[in-house]
Amino acid sequence: MNPLLEQFLSEAREFLQGIGEKLMQLEDEPDNAELMTELFRFVHTLKGNSGLFEFPEMTRVLHAGEDLMDAVRKGRVGYSQALADQLLDAMDFVGILCDEIDADGRIDASRAADSARLAKVLRSLIVVEAEADSTSASGDRKPTNSPAQQSATVNLAQLPLASIPELNRIEAYRRTQNGDALHWISYKPIEECFFQGDDPFFTARQTPDILWGNILARESWPPLAELDAYKCILEFQILTAAPRKELDEHYQYMPDQVEICNVDPLFLVIPQGNPNGGPVYGDFIDDVLPHLETGDITALRIAAQTMLELSNPELWLSSALRWLILLIDSTPENTTAFRKIIESLRTLTSPDWSSVNSMPTAPAPAEKVISANVEFSEEKILLSDEDAAAIKFILAAQHQILSFDDKPSWLLGRLKAVAAVLINYCKVSGDLNGQAEIEEALEQSLKATSSTPLLTWLEVRENEKLVRSVESNSPPKTATTNQIAAPIANPVTLVENSSEHPVVATSIVEGPRFGRRAEDAGAATSSKSLKVDQSKIDRLMNLIGEMVVSKNALPYLAQRAEDQFGVRELSREIKSQYSVINRIAEEMQDAIMQVRMMPVSFVFQRFPRLVRDISRKLGKEVQLVLEGEETEADKNIIESLADPLIHIVRNSLDHGLETPEARLAKGKPATGTLTIRAVQEGDQALIEIIDDGKGIDPNIIKRKAYEKGVIDEATMERITDREAINLVFAAGFSTAEVVSDLSGRGVGMDVVRTAVEKVNGTILLDSETGKGTRIRISLPLSMAVTKVMIVESDQQIFGVPMDHVMETVRVPISNIRTIKRSKTTVLRGNIVPLKTLNTLLGLSAQPKANADDEMAVLVVKINGDAVGLIVDQFRETIDIIQKPLGGVLSGLSAYSGSALMGDGSVLMVLNVKEIV
Amino acid sequence: MPIEYKKNLAVFSDISTVEEAESLLEWLQNKPLTKKIDLLACTHMHPANLQVLMAQKSSIAAWPKDANLRAWLESALKVE
Repeated sequence: MNPLLEQFLSEAREFLQGIGEKLMQLEDEPDNAELMTELFRFVHTLKGNSGLFEFPEMTRVLHAGEDLMDAVRKGRVGYSQALADQLLDAMDFVGILCDEIDADGRIDASRAADSARLAKVLRSLIVVEAEADSTSASGDRKPTNSPAQQSATVNLAQLPLASIPELNRIEAYRRTQNGDALHWISYKPIEECFFQGDDPFFTARQTPDILWGNILARESWPPLAELDAYKCILEFQILTAAPRKELDEHYQYMPDQVEICNVDPLFLVIPQGNPNGGPVYGDFIDDVLPHLETGDITALRIAAQTMLELSNPELWLSSALRWLILLIDSTPENTTAFRKIIESLRTLTSPDWSSVNSMPTAPAPAEKVISANVEFSEEKILLSDEDAAAIKFILAAQHQILSFDDKPSWLLGRLKAVAAVLINYCKVSGDLNGQAEIEEALEQSLKATSSTPLLTWLEVRENEKLVRSVESNSPPKTATTNQIAAPIANPVTLVENSSEHPVVATSIVEGPRFGRRAEDAGAATSSKSLKVDQSKIDRLMNLIGEMVVSKNALPYLAQRAEDQFGVRELSREIKSQYSVINRIAEEMQDAIMQVRMMPVSFVFQRFPRLVRDISRKLGKEVQLVLEGEETEADKNIIESLADPLIHIVRNSLDHGLETPEARLAKGKPATGTLTIRAVQEGDQALIEIIDDGKGIDPNIIKRKAYEKGVIDEATMERITDREAINLVFAAGFSTAEVVSDLSGRGVGMDVVRTAVEKVNGTILLDSETGKGTRIRISLPLSMAVTKVMIVESDQQIFGVPMDHVMETVRVPISNIRTIKRSKTTVLRGNIVPLKTLNTLLGLSAQPKANADDEMAVLVVKINGDAVGLIVDQFRETIDIIQKPLGGVLSGLSAYSGSALMGDGSVLMVLNVKEIV
Repeated sequence: MPIEYKKNLAVFSDISTVEEAESLLEWLQNKPLTKKIDLLACTHMHPANLQVLMAQKSSIAAWPKDANLRAWLESALKVE
């Protein structure tokens, strides 16, 4: 996962938290405009951020939320509890998406539908609330039910399935026999989609597992002269055998433009053709129906086959027969369906499948029951879930048959068939009394030629017996119990439910709400990154500093134990303990430092844009090269670097790099190169800003500096070119003739130097006229720990920051010359001025030489010059936590700070620049 | 590969892009009834072009070789 995404996730969680809090506060004071604005800003920012990534699901919801909040903010919609509920729900959803991204790096495609729904609900609030008074709104669950309702309301009978050629339909039907679910997709791209770079036709063509596709126009075409080719009014209709999940994924970017619904394969059974024929049909029907009554499916199939061979294949009859045979072959137990087709031959209208149960959804249990019919002696008391479902189907079918209020000639046969099925059911469920009751009911029915007595028995039976038997055996799914418990008076509901069964069941079980976060298992979803107040880290830093110091006291203690008390054993033990504590303390210090470390990319990342904008403005062509972005340094240092670097880059672009023409004239490539490089060198971070522009002319700098009174005439004559160019860092210096909005105010480089020095860094400028400029900034990696060299003078110890120390040498007294009144010595051919530390600090003692008559000289670098400090003795270098001098001592400019030594003594750290 | 316009025949090849819809529409607007469309070598057509053809009820001189595309286009363009 990239750092940007990580940051987004951690921020998003904060925003969600904030949004939640604000919503809660708003509940207490709904008229607080300030809170509302803040809330809007949260949602707005979160939406904007989410747009950076490819999470359309998230952005969509947030966008709707934003619109809603905007409407509320502007007073178009009143704030209400229901609104807050919806928003919280939406935010919970976003939270879930965040978790999902965190875990898998992507959002599951199935979320698209939820997202579209939530967005729709939020948007509907804008409209509804705007229209009706918000008082009527209550926390009803209506929106959460909508998906189930939506999918249930799609009326299969209304789909233009008949327009699909019979061959395709047969193919589709066969696919369902392999267990594939059919889906009907209606994809209506929005009118402006071409302008968004979409190719909906391509999208439609890429739909997985297409069985049939169709393109039509949503409105009639205007005359060619008025046609707007770029206004999309197409609709794509697709029949596919791909699983719902794949479809959702395919259309995840446009869930609001597609409607996907499950297609019951029976609805594909639409006979088509020439309705010619006549009395033959009637004969055929009379011939085959008895087969059906007696359950002689084989005979039925043979009859149909013969009839089909005799008929013209173009005929409506043939088409119906083909379907009949297909149905017989695929679901031999679905007699209701056969009957439907055969009856449809009378009217030559397509059978109405909406009241017929699609057997293929539960073929396995059905077969089981059939086999149970054969060996009825075997008593099966215990019903599995599957069996219960199958029995339910069978009873429902019988119920339906009995519910027909027509009085066909074969009514008696029908009643007998139903009774036979019911008796079989009783045998299977071990209900012996039931058999007698049914036989009695059948007799009555036959006498009255009415199905009522049987129907009554069935209804009574369903209400008591079945429910009990099912419940006592195994706890069925909620949906199943519901259907059984309710008297199956309305077959249509049953069918709808069963075809939509998977959808409905899951939505009930899982619960459509996106779960309050508080109830979630917190451990799994906790975030990995932690936002900590910087002051807490600082405190930790101080504490570890103190620990390092007190740890350093242990070697002294060991020494004393040995020297003063003469217990070597103890001394050794203390030392070994010390080494352990030392290791842990160092690791701890390192770890805390790591916490504060940040990559320089934090500062660098703004440069590409900056360079692009400025170079455009100036009409220059610049290529920016960033190197070593991963180099890390302390947060304070990185942050203090941001402004100086911007100044430097601006300067380079404005003064350094030439226009393309000027560059070409000088024989350089038209595009200038600006390199910003960061490297770590020891305990220093080195940042270089290099351009290949015109460089800085030292003579111009000297003259300007003189004109502005930065240097006097003598200095102007004396200073080297290199010193001259570094004059640009002097306060009040500017070479530009005209003050522009980019540079020329004469503060830039001075500010840069001050900022760098504030974090104990140094800045150095190199330039070659015509070739380019290089600025080197070296910075300590961390400000917390300073490496100092300890020197001794007049029996006192002082610390000198290692940044300043160039070398330590021992100079024989004979080599020290006095020029005028200053001491100097020659070191490797260079004259180095010498100063006595005692004199500088106002100590009267003379420096001591060692036994060989050599003076200890600490060569330090001050503003690029070497200066020798004569001290008495060199000691070790140590890491210290430097504390600034406070209170009355703060006026002492000779010291930059103090530190506590391991033995409890105080070390004063010299401010070398000040004292020399 | 853009659409190649002959006197009364527009020959599509490979993929026709969204930019071509405008010129196609212009070409068709002039004496639309005499114009024919050759889709033989076409593999995909941007729907903007398709809309133009559908609106004009273009007569198709040759259907695409690509069977999948042909099925789609026939559903939209075939005159019953």
